Amino acid sequence: MNAQSSGSHRSRHLPTVVLVARREVRMRLRSRIFVGGTIVMTVLVVVGIVAASLLAGKTNPVRVGFSGGSQALERTFIASAAALGAKVTVSDIADVTAGKGQVTAGTLDVLVTGSETAPTAVAKAAIPSNVESALSLAAEAARLSDAGLSPTAVRSAMALVPVQLLQPPSAKDTQNLFASLALGILLWIALGQYGNMVAQGVVEEKATRIMEILLATIQPSRLLAGKVIGIGLVGLLQLTIVGVAALVAVHVTNVAAIPALGAVSILGDIVWFVIGFLFYATAYSAVASLVSRQEEVQSAVAPISILQIAGYLLVYAALPNPTGPLATVCSLLPPFAPILMAVRMAATDVPSWQVALAGALTVASIVGLTWLAGRIYSNAALHLGARARFMEAFRG
Amino acid sequence: MDDRVLEIDGISKRYGQTVAVQDLTFEIHAGELFGFVGRNGAGKTTTMRIALGVLAPDAGVVRWLGAPLTFEARRRIGYMPEERGLYPKMHVAEQLAYLGELHGMADVEARQAALGWLDRFGLADRRDAELQALSLGNQQRVQLAAALVFGPDVLVLDEPFAGLDPVAVDVMADVLRERADAGAPVIFSSHELELVERLCDRVGIIDHGRMVACGTVGELRAGGLERRWLDVPAAPDPWEPGIPGVRLVQAAGARRLFELDPGVDDQALLLAALATGPVREFERVEPSLGEIFRALLEEAAA
Repeated sequence: MNAQSSGSHRSRHLPTVVLVARREVRMRLRSRIFVGGTIVMTVLVVVGIVAASLLAGKTNPVRVGFSGGSQALERTFIASAAALGAKVTVSDIADVTAGKGQVTAGTLDVLVTGSETAPTAVAKAAIPSNVESALSLAAEAARLSDAGLSPTAVRSAMALVPVQLLQPPSAKDTQNLFASLALGILLWIALGQYGNMVAQGVVEEKATRIMEILLATIQPSRLLAGKVIGIGLVGLLQLTIVGVAALVAVHVTNVAAIPALGAVSILGDIVWFVIGFLFYATAYSAVASLVSRQEEVQSAVAPISILQIAGYLLVYAALPNPTGPLATVCSLLPPFAPILMAVRMAATDVPSWQVALAGALTVASIVGLTWLAGRIYSNAALHLGARARFMEAFRG
Repeated sequence: MDDRVLEIDGISKRYGQTVAVQDLTFEIHAGELFGFVGRNGAGKTTTMRIALGVLAPDAGVVRWLGAPLTFEARRRIGYMPEERGLYPKMHVAEQLAYLGELHGMADVEARQAALGWLDRFGLADRRDAELQALSLGNQQRVQLAAALVFGPDVLVLDEPFAGLDPVAVDVMADVLRERADAGAPVIFSSHELELVERLCDRVGIIDHGRMVACGTVGELRAGGLERRWLDVPAAPDPWEPGIPGVRLVQAAGARRLFELDPGVDDQALLLAALATGPVREFERVEPSLGEIFRALLEEAAA
């Protein structure tokens, strides 16, 4: 035993896959493309969300000003508005004319004038119906107590009718569906980006001829796996940064309710993203190893890109009928499962055996693809210059 | 006798209709510097790739320590490919340490070895530079360091001297000798025949995928051309010694160069020269490796 080397605590032997992945992560985190790209993406997403909130605007609370005797309605109005799900803020307006001026100027949405029992609402163009109802309820309550009813009697008289739903909408409501769909499609696009990054990385190793040295010491499938894992981790990090920035922006601007995106469906999207990434990155790397120059990458990966675009288009074909035969069959096929199954899971209750089958088929095909890609990779690696043919590279 | 031998046994490789290597057999012993010589396209690179295991032969086998080369054994071979290649944007020391780790070193050990070799090649101050920022000659030194960083059992170097300045050639030659003396079989290819002749214990000459000669330079000379310089001031001009199998090749004043067929007694030539008068010089000229090489290729072509 060599006491000196084994005695060092910091001395480590890492598996080759980890070494390759670590190099990918280090090199990419250091590159200007990654840093700049992340900043640009984050800025774009945040700006987009802020712009959406400015354009939509309607989720901002309705500003209601009360003047004169109507000010006695404020407390019951706030309670009714809350019961009706209207977001409001309330303020006292001393002067009616000035209040109307504020409404015209847009600094106030509704001005309530008149007495407690006979109020009048002034608005620029329209009042949200639930705000109008809350105001009417408050005025009715005032009239009832004015007529001599006790506060308890008023409350019971004004109680909202309880509603019983025989077919309550599932948790997968439309907002949730659209959020999940949007996330799924964004991740699908991101997947293409990172898959292309893997393809570029493979060709870089061929173009710089380092492949020959690497293959002398590492099995091609491990080199490939390390590269895919490293770039995948970098991609997840980048998506996390952008995602967190987006969530913060959504929270601050109040443009949409965050709980609409259930944690489960986010997790589902991410798991399918990882599986999809492994599938496509491996496929991209296999075809990329057939060429030796960066200019040829795009044409080499075209067949894989087309599969990916087909998956994207199938979403629109399958969405109207997520339990139909087209959606069901395609969501089980490995090239499309990562997006179609994710979308179906958001849209409807998919039988768990279908989810399990889609997952198992995709994972099995990733294992097969890694082997196949490794074989093509090692045979095509030393084939520099002219583009290698697929079958030649396969046979070796 | 050290039995650590890299054996190349009957390997053949063809690319489509092109025969790259045909039934090639030779071996490199521990502590030996083996020079691999041949024209462009003769099959040197293919042979070295097969020896290393990055390329599979159509027939034949490569053995190390008496057993067919395994993946684990291949990882212990230091390799410098003809097509130089490292990551252009990776820092020099980081890159060497990475390759060291890929070859099975622990991280701290790999880092130290990387710095040690950079120091040896005079690149200590460039260790944190990107490889692409180095001159081509310095990149080549890094490339050699990449083959050496993990303390390989065997060295396979394709054209290690190409593109080096004279100082770097000396450093490279010293390192190769040192590795051989440390017990590693070292094989390298080169077109610098003088260098090969000076440096190598044995030489293999390959042509059209076949080994046309293999042995020490002395052995390659044996049975080949014999030449003698004679300085015979009193001899007539032109002078023919009249001995079968002896031809005049060159005359420079009274000095004359004769070529002798194999088996011809040079003492007969000396006696004939003495018959003309005084003999001021009688020198045996050994053909250089370059001359042997050209003669062998002519012979092979004929």
